[in-house]
Amino acid sequence: MGTIRVRFSKKDDMKYISHLDLMRLFQRAFRRADIPVKYSQGFNPHPKFSLATALPIGVTSDGEYMDVELENDIDKDEFINKLNDVLPDGIKILSGKYIKTSKSLMSLIEWSDYIIEFYITGNISKEDVENCIGKILKKDKIYVKKVKIKNKKEIIKEVDIRSGIRNLKLLVIEGKRVIIKATLKSGSKGNLKPRYIIDVMKKIGNMEIVDDSIKIHRLELYSQKNNKLVSPLDCE
Amino acid sequence: MINKDTLDKILSRVEKPARYIGNEINSYSKDTKDVKVRFAFAFPDIYEVGMSHLGLHILYSLLNEREDVFCERVFAPWVDMEYELRKHNIPLYALESKEPINKFDFVGFTLQYEMSYTNVLNMLDLAHIPLFSKDRKEEDPFIVAGGPCVYNPEPLADIIDFFVIGESEELILEIIEVYEKWKESNRTREEFLEEISQIQGVYVPKFYEVIYNQDGTIKEFKPKSEKYPNVIKKRIIKNLDEVHFPDRVIVPYIETVHDRVMLEIFRGCTRGCRFCQAGMIYRPVRERSVDKLLDYAQKLIETTGHEEISLSSLSTSDYSRLEELVKSLINKFKDKMIGLSLPSLRLDSFSLDIIQEIQKVRKTGLTFAPEAGSQRLRDIINKGINEEDLINSVRDAFYLGWSTVKLYFMIGLPYENYDDILGIKDLAYKVKDIYFGLPKDKRKGNLKVTVSTSCFVPKPFTPFQWFGQNTVETFKEKQRFLANNIRDKKITYNFHDSELSFLEAVFARGDRRLSKALIRAWQKGCKFDGWADHFNYEKWMETFRETGIDPSFYANRHREYDEILPWDFIDVGVSKKYLINENEKAKKGILTRDCRKGCTGCGINISFTGGVC
Repeated sequence: MGTIRVRFSKKDDMKYISHLDLMRLFQRAFRRADIPVKYSQGFNPHPKFSLATALPIGVTSDGEYMDVELENDIDKDEFINKLNDVLPDGIKILSGKYIKTSKSLMSLIEWSDYIIEFYITGNISKEDVENCIGKILKKDKIYVKKVKIKNKKEIIKEVDIRSGIRNLKLLVIEGKRVIIKATLKSGSKGNLKPRYIIDVMKKIGNMEIVDDSIKIHRLELYSQKNNKLVSPLDCE
Repeated sequence: MINKDTLDKILSRVEKPARYIGNEINSYSKDTKDVKVRFAFAFPDIYEVGMSHLGLHILYSLLNEREDVFCERVFAPWVDMEYELRKHNIPLYALESKEPINKFDFVGFTLQYEMSYTNVLNMLDLAHIPLFSKDRKEEDPFIVAGGPCVYNPEPLADIIDFFVIGESEELILEIIEVYEKWKESNRTREEFLEEISQIQGVYVPKFYEVIYNQDGTIKEFKPKSEKYPNVIKKRIIKNLDEVHFPDRVIVPYIETVHDRVMLEIFRGCTRGCRFCQAGMIYRPVRERSVDKLLDYAQKLIETTGHEEISLSSLSTSDYSRLEELVKSLINKFKDKMIGLSLPSLRLDSFSLDIIQEIQKVRKTGLTFAPEAGSQRLRDIINKGINEEDLINSVRDAFYLGWSTVKLYFMIGLPYENYDDILGIKDLAYKVKDIYFGLPKDKRKGNLKVTVSTSCFVPKPFTPFQWFGQNTVETFKEKQRFLANNIRDKKITYNFHDSELSFLEAVFARGDRRLSKALIRAWQKGCKFDGWADHFNYEKWMETFRETGIDPSFYANRHREYDEILPWDFIDVGVSKKYLINENEKAKKGILTRDCRKGCTGCGINISFTGGVC
């Protein structure tokens, strides 16, 4: 009768499957693993589970979350092991616990930590990158072009994304290889795609970033409590 | 193996990258050092289409059950992926090992529709494999093709090394046996082909020659040597309960056309519709037992986790123990929230009951296929339904809460006239009248009638194989006529592209002189011809002009019974005499009964099953 909340990873080739594909994948994995998932009532019953947020195609992650409602309780470790046995390479349940909260997982999520790795052409020093990050964080407003498709028409809008950036930090610079960590707005109350950080760094720091060298990895998702970041597993 | 980083970069740029990653649940992975034979199962269309094909899953599982064989899959890359592969000079690779298929022992294409032929060429080219059979060397794979289109293999005679005609579960293993011995013996490609040409069902086109008459018709089709068989007899599996059927199938990551468990309940069809090639070439009818089917269903659900089971056959209603099967499946799986879908169901009171019971969402559309608008024409094509049955079924369906009805027809059927076409309109209007004839409180939803017409394509091994197809102009005129006559907001009329159907007719009944046209069309950029956005009629017409081929010779020309047809050397079990007799009966509108009700003498029981069907 309980709800189990799990953290899982989505890596390697699994980064190429979409959010909807992932939903279908879990639905089938539950059946293969014989996990007693609760179904909704009505003409078209569907299994009751939900994912925290959609991960863009091409992005890997160690910090995805899912709530699963169960028809009858099974041991948490049994749940994890049974599911991992039938999941494809690249998707793995890392941890989990039964939760009591009635608040939906989706509504909890506010921030994501990303690791963004890329190569640059030309020369750049550690100071250059740090200056660029400093400049970005000091700004009150940062405008980027967002392309929206409405009624099959492309609409380009200038949007201020500053409030979507909580923090940026240089982790590694090795020759032309740069790795930064970004804490960005995520979830139903606003979402900033990590791609925009690349655009901003190009614009503000004049960095020449090699487009097909960019690798993005989500480290963790957070809820927010008293301006502190809290793991979805500790949200009660 | 192709470079992982390069592939990664490419995949981040293409639409639906999961088409190209493999590694799905229940796919095979083998150490290539441990296997003797590497087989690439090639489907000449995109992943989502190919993965919906049951034959792929059957042969993939059958071959991979053998430890010494590794069967992998390869699909036609979509145009964005093709661009990337060519740009980075990456040869077409198989999904499992990510290794180029030109290093394999076999590349086996399944030919499900004629309009995929240019994709076969494109895939060979992407794989760096010579397009012409004669240009392939010892290090190249053997290119084999099977599937319904190879009942007339001739248009691909210059391209494919050998064809497998009929059901290949046993045949393919016989070929592998010969191959393994051949590979160890250091003999030539030619010698391998010689040896397998002796196996029933194998056709090696280069061992045959064709001599033509002045008028372009065939004068003689003969083996180049006495050692090759004069007639190629198709293969069938005698007992479906004893043949391999997979108990685990690959579960795709992305949504495919048929994304569910497919249970093949029987092969063949006894109805004898005169336009239908499948109904003739897949004879005789052979059923799987209910016990076997329930067993497969159980295992397949356990191994895939699919949420739906679909029964697969040419005509679900004809399965002799359908009620028992459906009820058992419902009982077995209803608590597990698994849906059941029954395609190709004839609608009578029983089937409506069943549909009601299994419909997950009740008011999805109902599809009827009267095929022709008038009783006269339905009798000509031997479609054994009458208007009264149809009207009654529609009325029942409306009473049960349906309100969306699709009606399928063909235009350009033999002996058709404009009254028959008006009959299509009349039937659609009658359906509408039935709906509004219901008491108001019984009408549910909003009536929507969709009328679709396809353009009739005469196919080999049917009673209409001699018939000259309507010209593109005639088709267009008939479509306009019907469109002008259907003037009702509740009725929508859709029709198929007549130019595409014309081309389909050219290749369906073509001969080996068409190989050069295929290659030329491909050189001009024709591919994905079955996809409306890609089909380029102008390029095809240019191709025919440049290669000196008159496409109407193949599509529109009426043939006499004594003409040697390009596919006459294949024995499907149904005799030419029977086909002629059926065509004569068609002219007079005489029906032929369903052969479950008594033998109609098609010949299949004489040549294949020894007296009984």
